Amino acid sequence: MPATSSAERRAEAEKYGLTKMGVRPPLWTYIKDVARRGPFIRVLGTSTAYARNQNTYLGQLWAVLNPILNASVYVLIFGMLLNVSRGVDNTIAFIVIGVFLFRFVEQSVNGGAQSIAKRSNLIRSLHFPRAVLPLSNVMSHLTTLVPSLVVMCLIVLGSGLLPGYDPVPLTWEWLLLVPAVGLLWVFNMGIAFIMARLVAITPDLDNVISFVLRLTMYASGVIFPVVRYVNELPQWMQGWTTTILEYQPVAVYLYLARASLMNEDAFLQDPFKWWLGIIWAVVFFVAGFIIFWRGEERYGRD
Amino acid sequence: MTDDVSEADAHLDFDMEDEADDAGEHAEAIPLGDPCLVVDDLHIVFRVFGGKTAESARAQGIHVQDAEPPRRSLVKRLLGAGRQHVGAVSEVHAVRGVSFMARHGESIGIVGINGSGKSTLLRAITGLIPPHSGSVYVDGEPALLGVNAALMPQMTGAKNIEIGGLALGMTPKQVDERFDEVVEFADIGDFVDMPMKTYSSGMAARLRFAISSAAIPDILMVDEALATGDAAFKARSKARIAEVRQQAGTVFLVSHSISTIEAMCTRVLWMHQGQLVMDGPVEEVTAAYREFVRAHRQARSGGQAGGRRRKRNGGGGSQGSGGRARRQDKARAPDA
Repeated sequence: MPATSSAERRAEAEKYGLTKMGVRPPLWTYIKDVARRGPFIRVLGTSTAYARNQNTYLGQLWAVLNPILNASVYVLIFGMLLNVSRGVDNTIAFIVIGVFLFRFVEQSVNGGAQSIAKRSNLIRSLHFPRAVLPLSNVMSHLTTLVPSLVVMCLIVLGSGLLPGYDPVPLTWEWLLLVPAVGLLWVFNMGIAFIMARLVAITPDLDNVISFVLRLTMYASGVIFPVVRYVNELPQWMQGWTTTILEYQPVAVYLYLARASLMNEDAFLQDPFKWWLGIIWAVVFFVAGFIIFWRGEERYGRD
Repeated sequence: MTDDVSEADAHLDFDMEDEADDAGEHAEAIPLGDPCLVVDDLHIVFRVFGGKTAESARAQGIHVQDAEPPRRSLVKRLLGAGRQHVGAVSEVHAVRGVSFMARHGESIGIVGINGSGKSTLLRAITGLIPPHSGSVYVDGEPALLGVNAALMPQMTGAKNIEIGGLALGMTPKQVDERFDEVVEFADIGDFVDMPMKTYSSGMAARLRFAISSAAIPDILMVDEALATGDAAFKARSKARIAEVRQQAGTVFLVSHSISTIEAMCTRVLWMHQGQLVMDGPVEEVTAAYREFVRAHRQARSGGQAGGRRRKRNGGGGSQGSGGRARRQDKARAPDA
């Protein structure tokens, strides 16, 4: 082959209509690409979920056992021993709903963070919009969440039968758990996108995540209603702390789920919180998607 | 070097195997079409955290540079004592300024010793590793014959065919249609319903090849895929590669076996230390490469590295590439 200069080669490429590789596609094209990979996201997600628990004797049962054990510990320590559930009658339902749903957030954040970094092998051998990875990761956690939600509902129902607890009625309102979890899912995908990009570019951040998550756990009222402890803060802090604690996304989603299942005055259906839930989900998903897309051409380089 | 590249190369110390059943065969020449791939002054740089110090890597002939700016503050210098463990980032320049053009229907082999950047080049022209500088232009969608990374050993063969097919960009319907064909091509029989981790290595390799060639791509990249599998399977893979070429596709093949390259390729690229040493018709390049490997081997055992290498450059290669080879040797001199 005769030697050619760089300009000649580029002219040749243009002449035959070749496209340049490794360039970030326009946003709209990218969205269509990701949408076309829907089946791949689903299959990769469900298979990952299945493979995760496959090497144990109890197998898929662990997907349910794990959050139950987790919730039992918190019920024992925070609900019974410390008794920190101010103003909440059904402590068990409160903690179980909190723990089961927060686990989904936690897994999505961790999974999203790892989704690019841990799968560089896959990124370096196949061509697909990288957004598939965080999406399928969250999908895999949703897959394990669904059976455990059934168990969660049963525990909440059963807690009403215990002595000292008001009976928990099974109403049509329970169906609202589905949109609540749906919104949480959309929100989690957004968070996973953001984490994926951050950790792919700066792997060190992976070490900070667990601390941020623990802070979020306490600040969202997962195991005790943290908002009710605000009055122990100095006066000038109370106002804005309450606003943040009450209206930050994770707290909103937990409220929506509790309002659906628990029959208590502290958790009445609140249209404002539903709107807020929708807004948070859309904002995080759209922002996360764009943030992730802007790094598309950089994933897999190092 | 990256993990996957060194993994692929680790088990082979030297890169010249002759396989009897390939000897004497030659790839059929197909009239060449329009250019379908243009690589223009491509550079690939990896970021490496911790690990080897730049000095020790450089001593082995790998092109490494520190990622830090040359002027360092007092704080940085104080921290410098623990640099290999805290904040040690270096860059490996795996591909250094490669340019070439490929046409429809061409079958191109890539040869070179371990760590010469073959696999990285292959991944870069597939668009999997973003270039540091330079560019790659393609017509259609290139596919690397390396679906392994998407497959899950815990899942059954059937599930993996689905995952792999979707990962390659097929629609669920296409996966359904090709399913039987893939099972038959892989020749795994009833094992299709067993987890893939129970497969013998030959079976797993056959299934991987069958999945990744289920979709016939415009540009097919094969990286050592033919190293495993029995003779019958090898023949079938060759037929598959020929099929891609017949449909005006282009095939790239990285193999440690020169006779495989000779049997299946019409053109060969010879990589050394991230640069293109030679690019030309298969006989010419493989002859020069054989000569080089022989000299390199003797140099290793005899310990007279410099002298042998220089001798090789005088003899082998066409005129143009000889010049390039010499230039590249000079670049190495300070490292040795």
